[in-house]
Amino acid sequence: MNATGSIESEHPKLDTIRFEVIRNVMHAFVEEMAAALARSAYSTNIKTRRDHSCTFFDARGKMVDQASDQPSHLGALVFSVPAVLKEYGVENLEPGDGVLVNDAHRGLVHLNDVCLISPIHYHGEIFGYVANAAHHVDIGGRAPGSIAMTTDIFQEGVIIPGVKFVKGGEIDKDMLKWFTANVRGKKESAGDLRAQVASNKLGARRIVELLDKYGVEVVNAAIEQLHKYTECRVRHEFARFPEGIFEGDAYVDDDGITDQPICIKAKVVIKKGDMTVDLSDSDRQRRGPMNCTFAQTYSSAAFPIRALLPPDLPMNDGFYRMVKVIAPKGTVVNCTYPSAVVGGWEVGQKTVEAVLRAFSKALPDRVPAETKKTILHIAFGGVDPRSQEYYVFLETNGGGFGARPTKDGVDAVQPALQNAENSPIEELEVGYPVQIVRYELIPDSEGAGKFRGGLGLRRDYRFRDHEANVTILADTAKFPARGIFGGRDGRTARYLLNPCGKNFRDVGSKSTFYAGPTDIVSMQTPGGGGCGDPREREPTAVLDDVRCSKTSLDRAREVYGVVINPESWSVDLKETSRLRKTRGGTRGRQNAAV
Amino acid sequence: MPQYRLGVDIGGTFTDVVLMNLGTGEFRTAKVATTPQDLSTGFLHAMERVVVEAAVTPGEVAQIIHATTVATNAIIENKVARSAFITTRGFRDILEIQRQIRPTLYDLFFDKPPSLIPRYLCYEVTERVTAEGEVLQPLDEDEVRQVVRQIKQEAVEAIAVCFLHSYITPAHERRTGEIVKAEFPEAYLTLSSEINPEFREYFRASTTVINAVLMPLVARYVDKLQKEISARGFKSGLHVMQSGGGLMTGEVARDKPAAMVESGPAAGVIAASSLGTLLGYPNVISFDMGGTTAKAGLVERGRPKLAVNYEVGSAAISPDAHGKKGSGYPLQTPVIDLVEIGAGGGSIAWIDTGGALRVGPQSAGADPGPACYMAGGTLPTITDANVVLGRIDPDYFLGGEIKLDRKAAEKAIEEHCARTLDKDVATTAAGIVEIANAHMIRALRIVSVERGYDPREYVLIAFGGAGPMHVNGIVKELEIPTVIVPLNPGITSALGLLMTDLRHDYVVTYICRVDRLDLDKVNRVYRDFTAQGRSLLTQENVKEADMLFSKFMDIRYVGQSYERTIPVPSKEIAIKDMGEIAALFHKEHERAYGHCAPNEPVEVANLKLSATGIIPKPKLKDLKRGESTPEAALLTTRQVYFSETEGFVECSVYDRYKLRQGNAIKSPAIVEDKDATTVIHPGYQVEVGRYGNLILTPGSGETTKP
Repeated sequence: MNATGSIESEHPKLDTIRFEVIRNVMHAFVEEMAAALARSAYSTNIKTRRDHSCTFFDARGKMVDQASDQPSHLGALVFSVPAVLKEYGVENLEPGDGVLVNDAHRGLVHLNDVCLISPIHYHGEIFGYVANAAHHVDIGGRAPGSIAMTTDIFQEGVIIPGVKFVKGGEIDKDMLKWFTANVRGKKESAGDLRAQVASNKLGARRIVELLDKYGVEVVNAAIEQLHKYTECRVRHEFARFPEGIFEGDAYVDDDGITDQPICIKAKVVIKKGDMTVDLSDSDRQRRGPMNCTFAQTYSSAAFPIRALLPPDLPMNDGFYRMVKVIAPKGTVVNCTYPSAVVGGWEVGQKTVEAVLRAFSKALPDRVPAETKKTILHIAFGGVDPRSQEYYVFLETNGGGFGARPTKDGVDAVQPALQNAENSPIEELEVGYPVQIVRYELIPDSEGAGKFRGGLGLRRDYRFRDHEANVTILADTAKFPARGIFGGRDGRTARYLLNPCGKNFRDVGSKSTFYAGPTDIVSMQTPGGGGCGDPREREPTAVLDDVRCSKTSLDRAREVYGVVINPESWSVDLKETSRLRKTRGGTRGRQNAAV
Repeated sequence: MPQYRLGVDIGGTFTDVVLMNLGTGEFRTAKVATTPQDLSTGFLHAMERVVVEAAVTPGEVAQIIHATTVATNAIIENKVARSAFITTRGFRDILEIQRQIRPTLYDLFFDKPPSLIPRYLCYEVTERVTAEGEVLQPLDEDEVRQVVRQIKQEAVEAIAVCFLHSYITPAHERRTGEIVKAEFPEAYLTLSSEINPEFREYFRASTTVINAVLMPLVARYVDKLQKEISARGFKSGLHVMQSGGGLMTGEVARDKPAAMVESGPAAGVIAASSLGTLLGYPNVISFDMGGTTAKAGLVERGRPKLAVNYEVGSAAISPDAHGKKGSGYPLQTPVIDLVEIGAGGGSIAWIDTGGALRVGPQSAGADPGPACYMAGGTLPTITDANVVLGRIDPDYFLGGEIKLDRKAAEKAIEEHCARTLDKDVATTAAGIVEIANAHMIRALRIVSVERGYDPREYVLIAFGGAGPMHVNGIVKELEIPTVIVPLNPGITSALGLLMTDLRHDYVVTYICRVDRLDLDKVNRVYRDFTAQGRSLLTQENVKEADMLFSKFMDIRYVGQSYERTIPVPSKEIAIKDMGEIAALFHKEHERAYGHCAPNEPVEVANLKLSATGIIPKPKLKDLKRGESTPEAALLTTRQVYFSETEGFVECSVYDRYKLRQGNAIKSPAIVEDKDATTVIHPGYQVEVGRYGNLILTPGSGETTKP
């Protein structure tokens, strides 16, 4: 097998063409599982934010295929499924069983991601496994949404170590009762679990149909070939990257317990078609919740690499075996039991940036400036005064995307590991006792540049006729999204209580507090970093932004050196040219103090 | 005096026209090149040509029915009317923020679709309504007046208004509309509470904006066509196909252009549904394969299924993200659910860096076209594979209009695929077809299995230039028992226009648990909708006896956010009906998702009504009966490759136009139309049906022999 040659057939009945057909069919199956899960789930996380993934593993526990709308799930199941199966003992699995697990320290990422693993029995033997993981809105623990400034995993919610939750195709009634008693979103979680069970049943049925049609041997040969094929394509792409050792870093503001920033250091080693991300120089693990499990770190380190590979590359063991991640035990990128991990995604987002910074040196044309680089969670719960029922809600807000070397960053969008939709305001207000007071772009929040960063957004919440318990778990309030190649940094995030009234308070990026009906909670998300000298920005692009009130007149003049006549909406070319000449050098980067 | 109905279907490449004699069912067709600069030129040209060829006087044409891409093109090419947007204070950026997602997960260079209205033409006014519909902050009318005056200064043509929760309390939008009419009467105006009173603000606002920005263009287009039509002596008005199936008059289209965005593709599914109904098959999957794409749709009980969360324009804005969430502009008016994939005759076969044989999504299109066209294309395509396999006669492509070069096809496949794979050209060509089929099977699976419908319970109707050639290979995989290939498969879509009823759809959001419904309110809403529908249909000259009003509710479990549409009784709804409606919902949930929870509370989200004006359907002409053997239609025999036989076999080739009703064709065989070729694989048989349709079923063909 070589990069341009054909793949040798492992099996006489499997030629190139049949292989291509079978792999298409297998991918259709996992996508069908994901569609079924999303459309019948209850909680917003799954149904509209699609925070879940569906996978198919072979009998050895190697991932064959995966469907997910969230890159955060890239490494979530690939390690946990084989580990959990080994511990549970596959000999203990009967047809129709399902093992439930959420224990981050058993290879998963955080307790909210509840994973269900089901064996696929075929003629009395286990052919493989289907597994799905779904982010439940609440899993118990200290605060609504199960996000809080915890100091060990026991404070983060109910820990499910891998137990038989589904028996003979039916959910165990006692287990379900015990589970729902421990979580705040009882109805949502019960509905989500039913959807997870249905999704696995469907996946297993489809694989059995495939086996009926082609036989075990041919399908196994196709799986083997799929892994080789993927590896071959990955190898081919890596061989086109420049060889060398490239370094990058990124910082988390603080750890939720102390003000001490957390440093992530990435060393990307590209050598002869091999790729290693070494995170060994990152900080030691913290007492607070800003720690990653290895699975979480793997997803984060793998994302930038996946993004630099062709979009049609299938995701399976053939990819995973090619992407090596080194993260020593006891660091924030691979914490030990029983560390708190619920803020680990913030470390993960910075890991993405650290790796991208390294790649920016290797492939400067293909990597954007820094993005909002925080998951930016807000969760709240309380008693709904309309129904007297307890409710819990959690969402994440978008921010500015980093400027690209050929074009602007996108305004108000989800970057990197996450791609969760916003909750429609009307749906949110119908379902929960909250009112969104404003939802808008933040002008002048972009990192200026020849290509500018995306704008951050502002979403203000008011709680109706009750007091809600609110947690913000976010970041980028101290370390802004950095610009590249002379581009400026984006505006930092602000998390404020009563932004323009009395009782103003900067609640910071990580806190739990109560807010009443007269309070307003204002989430102001970061702008993306810029790329290139702002004074080289096309004056008409500045004009467009000023006309759209994305950039102020003053900023156009001061930062971009562009003078605009707001009467005629035209660029004063003479003044602009004079200004750009006299103030040729860029002003110092507005990097935040460390 | 004979009566005729005329259908004009404007596609990307061709404008097809069908003229049918309503008395005899005979029809005549014409095809002219589409004229992208001004679509009406091609329309009029095609219409004139067919009328002259059929020697029909314009006065004899009773109806003119039209499917057009004018609205889609305007959005895709961003040539919409300059418009303004007015919304609730604090929410100016609904159109900019959109869903805050990127359509492609791993593309660092993605873009969101640019807002159809620039931010500087988006205005806020003070007002606020709660989720319960109560006024929290009254509308500041002075502010509205100032905003409208400002908008007038900006030389816009249209205004879209969308306030939060206006689906429940439309008063502020209506008042704003009055002020617009007083201050700026020339402006085209769309209120969200009128075009789409459904909750979820971005989706409603997007639908409102799409309608507003299209209004001036569609008004000019419709007016011009109507003027030109009457200038040519036609007495009939113009009907336009809606994206959700069903016609509306040109007059209605001027106000509701959002309803015709996917006018063209809808026609094909409608044709399949009408044909199915005519032949006694209410459950149909339509399969339409042309030069660049293949489209699949599903018809249940005579009604095409509608899409959920449809987005328009995604293909053009980000080709890689085509069909992905967040890649286009959400449109909430009904759109027929079509799964479209980039696999057509022109799709290119290639070897990827992992050594796998791939087909598409790159297409050679019409220019340079497949290698066998000898028009500059050198890359192998699906059409080239079909030529190599003997499935297409190089001398009788499009009725002989284009001569194809088999050697060039072989060379392209040899050089670009077979050599690397170390296989012979024929095996490689068969592989190309099989992989293309796998993509199409995927499309058919999405529209059926993924939506909870078992394709084995459906009849598949195959049309389009390439559909009949690939259909047999596809149904084999999906175990679909019966396939129908209509006569003239190349113009099936245009024919569908002649078989469509008038329809108007109404919706309003009313979120309430089923056991707490205010039934007086529900019945009042349905009565209002019925009255609105009746008045519109009356304007369109539909008689009361031909009107049909169907009610639906969108229902979900409390806490879910996807609804299923459930039909409800046509009479006034009583408490006891709600139990049955809830039971239907549980059943539908089980069907669609494989599970349900009969003990969980259920809530209504939307009330919907369709008002249909039934128009008389043309009768298709019966084909003359013939012998059971098709010998009279035998053209020739040739060597055709089948994967079942792993090589070339002698295959009978029949002339479609000489086949007679009752003819039974044994496999393997080829049936040639002027505009399409039907391939019948070993293990299948064909019977020629009443209207000349081919009925393809599994079997040896032996049983039908005397």
